Amino acid sequence: MRKKNSRLLSMVLAAATSMTMLAGCGGAATPNESGVDTNTSTEQAGTEATTEEVSQVEVNLGSYSEAPMLADQVSAGTLPAVEERIPDADNVFVETVDATGAHLEIGNYGGVINLAGAGGGWGLSRPTLESIIRYNTDGSYYPNVIKAFDHNDDYTEWTFHLREGMKWSDGEPFTADDITFWYYMCHLSNFDSKKNGWPALKEEVDGEDAWAKLTKVDDYTVTWTFVNPKYPADFIENGDFKWCWAPAHYLSDLIPDSEDFPYVENEYWQSTGLSEEEVLANAQKKGIDAATVKDLGKAVSYNFWNTSGLPTLNSFVLSTVPGNSSKDDTLCIMDRNPYFWKVDAAGNQLPYVDALHFNTTSEDGQDLLMFRSGEIDIITIAMKDISATLGDLGDAAELREWGTTNWGSYQITFNYTNTDENYATLFANPDFREAMSICVDRKQVSELLSDGFLEPGQAAPAEGNIGYDEEWATKWTEYDVDKAKSLLEGCGLVMGSDGFYDFADGSDFMLTFLAYDGGADESYPVFEQYYKAVGINCALKNLEVAAFDEQIDNNDWVAVMGPHTAIGGASLKDRAAPFVPIAQSSEWYGEYGTYYQTKGAQGVEPTGDMAKLVEIYDKWRSTSDEAERDAYQEQIYQIHKDNLWSLAYLKAENSYELINSKIKNYADNLVWADCYQYANMTHYEVLFKAE
Amino acid sequence: MAKKSFVGNLKAFFEKDLVQYIVKRVLMFIPTLLLISILVFFVIQLPPGDYVSAHIAALATEGELVDADYAASMREDYGLDLPVWQQYIKWVKDIIWTPSDTPYYRLYHSHHNWKYSFAYGRDVWSVVNDRLGLTIGVTFIIMLFQYLVSIPIAVYASTHQYSVGDYISAIIGFLGTAIPNFILAIVLMYLSYRWTGNANVGLFTQEMLKNGVHLYNFGDFMKRMIIPIVVIGTSGTCGIIRSVRAQMLDEVARQYTLTARAKGVPEGKIIMKYCFRAAINPTVSGLGGVLSSLFSGSTVTAMVLNMQIQGPVLYKALQSQDMYLAGAIVMIQAVLVVIGVLLSDIALAFLDPRIRYSGGNR
Repeated sequence: MRKKNSRLLSMVLAAATSMTMLAGCGGAATPNESGVDTNTSTEQAGTEATTEEVSQVEVNLGSYSEAPMLADQVSAGTLPAVEERIPDADNVFVETVDATGAHLEIGNYGGVINLAGAGGGWGLSRPTLESIIRYNTDGSYYPNVIKAFDHNDDYTEWTFHLREGMKWSDGEPFTADDITFWYYMCHLSNFDSKKNGWPALKEEVDGEDAWAKLTKVDDYTVTWTFVNPKYPADFIENGDFKWCWAPAHYLSDLIPDSEDFPYVENEYWQSTGLSEEEVLANAQKKGIDAATVKDLGKAVSYNFWNTSGLPTLNSFVLSTVPGNSSKDDTLCIMDRNPYFWKVDAAGNQLPYVDALHFNTTSEDGQDLLMFRSGEIDIITIAMKDISATLGDLGDAAELREWGTTNWGSYQITFNYTNTDENYATLFANPDFREAMSICVDRKQVSELLSDGFLEPGQAAPAEGNIGYDEEWATKWTEYDVDKAKSLLEGCGLVMGSDGFYDFADGSDFMLTFLAYDGGADESYPVFEQYYKAVGINCALKNLEVAAFDEQIDNNDWVAVMGPHTAIGGASLKDRAAPFVPIAQSSEWYGEYGTYYQTKGAQGVEPTGDMAKLVEIYDKWRSTSDEAERDAYQEQIYQIHKDNLWSLAYLKAENSYELINSKIKNYADNLVWADCYQYANMTHYEVLFKAE
Repeated sequence: MAKKSFVGNLKAFFEKDLVQYIVKRVLMFIPTLLLISILVFFVIQLPPGDYVSAHIAALATEGELVDADYAASMREDYGLDLPVWQQYIKWVKDIIWTPSDTPYYRLYHSHHNWKYSFAYGRDVWSVVNDRLGLTIGVTFIIMLFQYLVSIPIAVYASTHQYSVGDYISAIIGFLGTAIPNFILAIVLMYLSYRWTGNANVGLFTQEMLKNGVHLYNFGDFMKRMIIPIVVIGTSGTCGIIRSVRAQMLDEVARQYTLTARAKGVPEGKIIMKYCFRAAINPTVSGLGGVLSSLFSGSTVTAMVLNMQIQGPVLYKALQSQDMYLAGAIVMIQAVLVVIGVLLSDIALAFLDPRIRYSGGNR
């Protein structure tokens, strides 16, 4: 992904992907307007050129095969036959290529993939979650859990078509009822705590928040209806909108009708009439231990992969064996979903491996030791450890490089909404930012902080990403102390008797950088010498992350080294908040974002280019025209290029993984990004261990 | 000194003044523990922010945004919006007695509500309980090793003062104490990796974690215990060796020993029956801390070695401001220290009849 030619190749292959699925599974991934659109129309020539290659993927779904462990259960009579468990050829998902578009090998069944501990709320979901759509490395996407989607001409009505014959991991059919149940009983009642947090299903009508109307057309079709047009970027492509289903048959006695979680009137489901206490007691009977209904809601309808016993549509489901059934267990096991609805080109039901084992460790480095001794198969590894480890392990391990969507490493940013007028005025002056950027010798920083691995750079999209611009990526990167000094003086700073600059009114100028969890402990001393050398007095204040966030939220800060929510990302549509000041989120816009989020009730009203960002963003949101949207996005990128509200000193760092070389079908050059759900892009269901 | 038999000692054990002493000490538990609980609760609250802010920060790291309403309602749910003293009173009250008409009792059938661990999303007691057996088992094995190794060495060293064996035991003992546990642990893991290809991270193999520890894989389990035993064991043995050795040397030079020797009492009997018994007094009085370290000892080593015992849980709870879990663990430790001190006092009294409880009214 980082190199231009490999990107082109992946685009071509990705285009081939959807064509393959179209050709191979007779409507399994029915292409529709949006689906084809995203395969970048500019690559049409490439698409045609590869049609021959496409036909080479032979899809043979004459009959299904299954893992021996499941076959045993079938012959023992404890599990229905595979044909009854998964959808027929017209509805099953046939997985033939990886996220880069490369063809997959037909694998063998069995074995276990050992991973490091899952940690966090999302750890178990990354390798296992099946979402509404799935992305390729080039940003194109295709329907995943749903069979197809389409919309009417003015984008007010979106229709999801489901896969007939698809089942939950406990064998119950997955139908439109599971979607209406999720929407009305779990989401709109705010049982999942996300009613207000998910913009995909929300719109504004007469200045008030309003939510889509969901209609069940038949058992396998639902329609979302909006008052205003709802464009793809705000709906199907929205990074938060990963699922819209919940197992109604399992959850029906866990939904309360209480003051905090009131029943939402709808034509599909009646109020359960259960009190919060009854619901918690019912949950406990199912082995779900929750402190509050809010915790319960999150456990069963939000981070549902963490809840043992809960049916899912994912490739692997959490074990129910005590001691292995929680992400906090030393060994957490996720077993294959016997009802998983994907097959390979030869009709073998996926996943190939029997289970994923998550091995919780308590210290950094333990996972590397376990990888070396063969107890873990896949680990994320720091750049500096790669050569030594590969040198020792030889052919037993392989390297996988993940592209990044980050905008540069070693970022700093300033509080443009600082309540002290002196600071606010200074930061608003681009000359100050230029001075802060060019007063640092990036080559030396690269040597000191990354052993020369990371090249000098700026806070800009990395090569191979949308918006990459060489001029931007090298803007203000030339080391020039004299120029920096004259720029600072041009900003009205006056050299004081202590050798540091003061404000024009004589008050001290002190640049106190906030950092969290020791993130700048190593790098700050390096930068400090440069800042002090040009006459900027500075200090580092390291805080525990919660205290850090609190100080940012209270607008009680001057500058940040290593922001918690860094500027930029893959593209505007994947997550807009780091690009434009629309939420209480990113440090580089501080209170400006609060202003937009609270509709002007709190925060500081943006002006100048900051205001322009919001203006263009609103236009970007409300147009259906792809080309027009790209143009708006370009404008937003241009404004960022002009202003550089965040500075970076080195290029963004890619991520690396080492894998046991027995593991096959693990693509290289994937993209490590939130919008792609990180490791989800690996498609764990198709990994297998060569015998 | 009157010669007392074992039965005599036992009888003395139930003398009126001893019973009184124990009752008094037990009554003293109440104010002590209350004071400790206040201290614990407020110290845990000291860092800025609370669990909700820590939790939201963790979510932000995973790319999730949370609005302010959510944080506020979460604080309300957990009672974190109340003043600290009200939170404290509720905490203590619920631990001591949760009536049967509360939702907690109906759900868990327990009168002692230690509240929830936010991070685990479970009842605190169930989190603590998860690792209790393993913690006690592992620490007990290690302690047994410590005493079984160090006491014979100490006796040997004191009876062979300035011999080669004395010096060797001193050198090994001092090295064990001087090398920080975590470094020794890392070095041993490295050596184990170099020699066997396996670093022995953690107490269990994956197979044991899946199928449990049984007779057929008990050997493997003991192999995994080698590093923890050596690391934690050696750090404690030196202290015991030195103090027992010093005491022994004192006793060996005492007049009663000389007298016994002059009267022709066999050497072994002199050492074991007279000197040793007097020499282990300080060791026994040190047992007070043992109970609590059984419960959550060797945190740093446990983390380095990825041992799934109580210490790392406490560490994580403190980090994520999971205050009820941290509070529960520290409180239980405090109770164990108090009980441990009492038990060691009683043991001392049993061991050495010269010790009495109310001073001078023998």
